[in-house]
Amino acid sequence: MQAFAETWEGQGDMRPRMRRTFVAVTTLSALGVAWFVLTTETGLISSGRFPDPAATWAAMRQLAGPGYAGSTLVVHVAQSLKLVLGGFLFASALGVSVGLLMGWNRKAEALINPVFLLLRPIPPLAWIPLAILWLGLGDAAKIMVIVIAAFVPSVINTSTGVRTIDPTIVEAARMLGTPHWRYMSEVLVPASLPAIFTGLRLSLQAAWTTLVAAELVGALAGIGLVLNVAQQDIYPAMILSAMFVVGVLGWLMTLLLGLVESYALGWRTA
Amino acid sequence: MGSICFDKVDKVFGAGSGVLKALEDINLIVADKEFVAIVGPSGCGKTTCLRMVAGFEAPSAGTISVDGKVIIAPGPDRAVVFQQFALFPWKTVRGNIEMGLRNKNMPRAQRAPLVEGALKLMNLESHAEAFPHQLSGGMQQRVAIARAYVLDPAVLLMDEPFGALDAQTRVVMQEELVRLARLNPRTVLFITHSVEEAVYLADRVAIMSRRPGRIKGIVDIKAVRLAEQWDKSERIEDVMERESFVHLRSNIWKSLREEK
Repeated sequence: MQAFAETWEGQGDMRPRMRRTFVAVTTLSALGVAWFVLTTETGLISSGRFPDPAATWAAMRQLAGPGYAGSTLVVHVAQSLKLVLGGFLFASALGVSVGLLMGWNRKAEALINPVFLLLRPIPPLAWIPLAILWLGLGDAAKIMVIVIAAFVPSVINTSTGVRTIDPTIVEAARMLGTPHWRYMSEVLVPASLPAIFTGLRLSLQAAWTTLVAAELVGALAGIGLVLNVAQQDIYPAMILSAMFVVGVLGWLMTLLLGLVESYALGWRTA
Repeated sequence: MGSICFDKVDKVFGAGSGVLKALEDINLIVADKEFVAIVGPSGCGKTTCLRMVAGFEAPSAGTISVDGKVIIAPGPDRAVVFQQFALFPWKTVRGNIEMGLRNKNMPRAQRAPLVEGALKLMNLESHAEAFPHQLSGGMQQRVAIARAYVLDPAVLLMDEPFGALDAQTRVVMQEELVRLARLNPRTVLFITHSVEEAVYLADRVAIMSRRPGRIKGIVDIKAVRLAEQWDKSERIEDVMERESFVHLRSNIWKSLREEK
């Protein structure tokens, strides 16, 4: 009975996934064909406004091979990844801790929340001047701006997750005489994990969004610099290539985070 | 040991103009190893009675004590079985049952036989490594009962434990609980709105009035049960057809109906 249920569900799972992949591939292919038709084939969009596939491919190869804006693709990507990962990891560690504290302890929430509410409406990019004044034009200032942007969703989602924990689960833990530290690690955190991961995904997105802007200022390498230089060179194919790289990197990291999530929340699908 | 004593207990919710008197002058003694069920109209405060014994809420006046000790906080000496099971979904069946023993800092070697015993008691051996969401409602409530029993509590508090189960599973669980009560007698405070369930399971049934809840009567079931030898019947329907059962049930029903 058990085995039967499993295989049946397994098939039910596979089909929507395959169908989704099929739809995704089809959509992307259609977009590629439309791009080719509108630019190279018919010339409806002039290559001065939007580059055709061949020009973009050439720019991509230039970025990968000889390099552009002072370095090759690998160096640019490594620099950008360093900033995004550094900022994201620091922001999520801090954000999840503060969020747990706020959700767990009313006094902590009363103390932190007013400051948080005041700082939240300030766009992260408005911190760039201050970050440069404090930390100079190096990586530290850029990471600081990314941290500020990525911190917010982690805090909000984590504290919401903690606050919305099922009250009977809390009562069950109290009835079982659960000590504070174990309550934190074995009840509160696992119960909040779905919300925490929602926060982490949004934080990761915020980190990428802020990266390009942060790199527009005084960067020596990075995808943001490529975009900036390509704009000054009036080189649309290179702009498009850099945007494509950002898109793929962001997608890959979200995918990776999804894998971590399904591992951490394995009990949900076991 | 495990006796529960409600002494002149009042419970008021809210303050100022929004004040709501939930319970008034509750006096009840549940003796050691006695099974007492509380029945009453919905909203009469019967669940509040149980929650105060558990230590989740405090009386507004009067005291509640277990074995002479006034209750001030929840603890594993008063194990609760919740209507909605309240299992930890990220822990396996074994992990859920083991939690309370780990909290007592019991060494692993000492825990293992107790957990195995609880699994066996509730026929859960083959599901020890399953997660709660993989089990049916009835199985989940078995886990919750095992989690309570393994603590060896002075009293067991059951808050409409079968209320979320379908009718068939409910009957199975009721028979199961009777089997447990004979195998391993406990002091039980059992909240239900099913009169049949109360008469079938309990030694005594306390009937509560509408809000503010008072205990308007206590019916002794045990004397009738022993005299009529209900315990010789294996199945619940055999008991429920007996004249003595029907008589008790309709008496309690009449008393409750006055409250509607």
